[in-house]
Amino acid sequence: MPVDVEKIVTEVSTKDIKTFRFTFVNKEDEEQFKYLPGQFAELSIFGKGESPIGIASSPTQPGYIEFTVQKAGVVTSELHSMEEGARMGVRGPLGNTWPIDYLEGKNVVVVGGGFAFTTLRSLINYMLHEENRSKFGKITVVYGARDPGLLIYKDELQLWEKRDDIDLNVTVDKGDETWTGREGFVPAVCKEVAPSSENAVAVICGPPVMIRFTLPEFFNLGFSKENIYTSLEMRMKCGIGKCGRCNVGSKYVCKDGPVFSLAELDTLTKEY
Amino acid sequence: METRIIKKDTLIGIVKNLSEDMMVYAPVREEDNVLFKILEKGMEPLIEFDNTKNAPKNFFFPQTETMMRYLKNERGEKLTQVPEEAQDAVLFGVRPCDARSFVLLDNVFNDPKYRDPYYVDRREKTTVISMACVEPPYTTCFCTSVDGHPFSTEGVDISLVDLGDQFLAEFLTSKGEALLAKMGDLPKADDASIAKKEALSGAAAEKIRSKVPGRAIKPWLDENFEHPFWDTIHQSCLACGTCTYLCPTCHCFDITDETKKEDGKRIRSWDSCMYWLFTMETSGHNPRPSQKERWRQRLMHKFKYFVDNYDAIACVGCGRCVMYCPVNIDIRKIVQDISKL
Repeated sequence: MPVDVEKIVTEVSTKDIKTFRFTFVNKEDEEQFKYLPGQFAELSIFGKGESPIGIASSPTQPGYIEFTVQKAGVVTSELHSMEEGARMGVRGPLGNTWPIDYLEGKNVVVVGGGFAFTTLRSLINYMLHEENRSKFGKITVVYGARDPGLLIYKDELQLWEKRDDIDLNVTVDKGDETWTGREGFVPAVCKEVAPSSENAVAVICGPPVMIRFTLPEFFNLGFSKENIYTSLEMRMKCGIGKCGRCNVGSKYVCKDGPVFSLAELDTLTKEY
Repeated sequence: METRIIKKDTLIGIVKNLSEDMMVYAPVREEDNVLFKILEKGMEPLIEFDNTKNAPKNFFFPQTETMMRYLKNERGEKLTQVPEEAQDAVLFGVRPCDARSFVLLDNVFNDPKYRDPYYVDRREKTTVISMACVEPPYTTCFCTSVDGHPFSTEGVDISLVDLGDQFLAEFLTSKGEALLAKMGDLPKADDASIAKKEALSGAAAEKIRSKVPGRAIKPWLDENFEHPFWDTIHQSCLACGTCTYLCPTCHCFDITDETKKEDGKRIRSWDSCMYWLFTMETSGHNPRPSQKERWRQRLMHKFKYFVDNYDAIACVGCGRCVMYCPVNIDIRKIVQDISKL
């Protein structure tokens, strides 16, 4: 599907993470691109290839889709050199979603680290939307980055901060002279915030080291493996379960994932 | 189902006639090899051969294919062409093991949720004519161990059986019957010929000596993703990928872009789980960092993951990987070794 780059926001002080807003060239494509938080799409630049990226916008924001992309490989480097008004392609939506139906009627704890906050942001915006907010219980968010300059979606964090229907806890590993917020690693903040596991589901996304130390905190709080969800990443090409590289055991991350509960991950091999 | 008789000396002529009308792929001899080739004017198909060196999967899933063409210049980029529709074609002389591979590949490429239009189009427009293995050609044949049979008709539209002086032709599908009209006047098969085929079929299965516990190792694979055995099989592997390229059921591919000046194409090409780059991520992380994990993946995919997903072993027992592995890694021995653990 051809899209136009409508807006580019440089998210971080290191300038290597940008959010790209795309609008569809064809109205039919926009209608076809029905997605839910947690899904991803292949961003396509002819001559460079495709790159699978999580969708950072929420379907409650019609008219455009957004992706937050770190400059890393061939496609993402080219993307970072593009300017507003450029034309490229999007193929999707692909993969499964955060377990929206299952989250309804429950308290939701969202934990994000660094730049892995993108599809979590989609989920938060989805739940906060006026038509959806009443369907979910208490929303607790713990979001951390290494330093203040690396926090993404800063404007949105401020907006959420002002609301009383979301408990937002933003932390940085190490603050700077301008930082007035919380300091501390995500696992420690989760321990301090101590969200109740009563009728609650945790959705966790971040670097492996953060996940490794955060999970025990949630087990201590009484969360079962069925009530902790995360999203996996693997090298992908087709995104539809055919090219054969992103499987973890008999599941394909692209088609059966990327979202898995810890209970599901326990049944799979540890090859990711 | 129509069952007819084809005189031995007329079969080559019938196939050549078909090739006047439509694309025919058939086994032909090229130097020391028998290969599937497009039958061009004046070429004759082989009707007596062991098996082709290349698996016929490439007629549905080519080694490289252009998925789309594009134009790219300062004014932007534009899709200029998506591939043309496939032509009607006949794939002649497929061994039953290779024909079964199409049914296995259909699971992947004709999945109801994500249908692969390139593959499905070619598959639908191609009629498969098989040649049953009255004499299973190699000592490395092991189709009977992986749910196959030297007379299997899975994936076949027209099955040919060499009865000695003539061929028994079974027109199994509507596609096969449609081709019957183009084959001239073929006499109906008599009961004696059909009985002879049945006898040959049983005898052929008996002749396959290589036995592998294809299904029986599944419970062990379910439980032993981590096991010292995985440290042994890859030791001599050169990671050349020959096994995966010759395999009728391996379906992994890569997608790349090639641009020359303004013109470009997005290409799909066969890839191999035997290569380190296959799963290498941009970050530098590789979930399958050594040949050990890659071999485990290959074996698990064929004998466990595919079974989990489609209730079928992703191996047809053709023996190509056994014959052509430069360091003699034998998948039959690996499976047998696992069954003894």
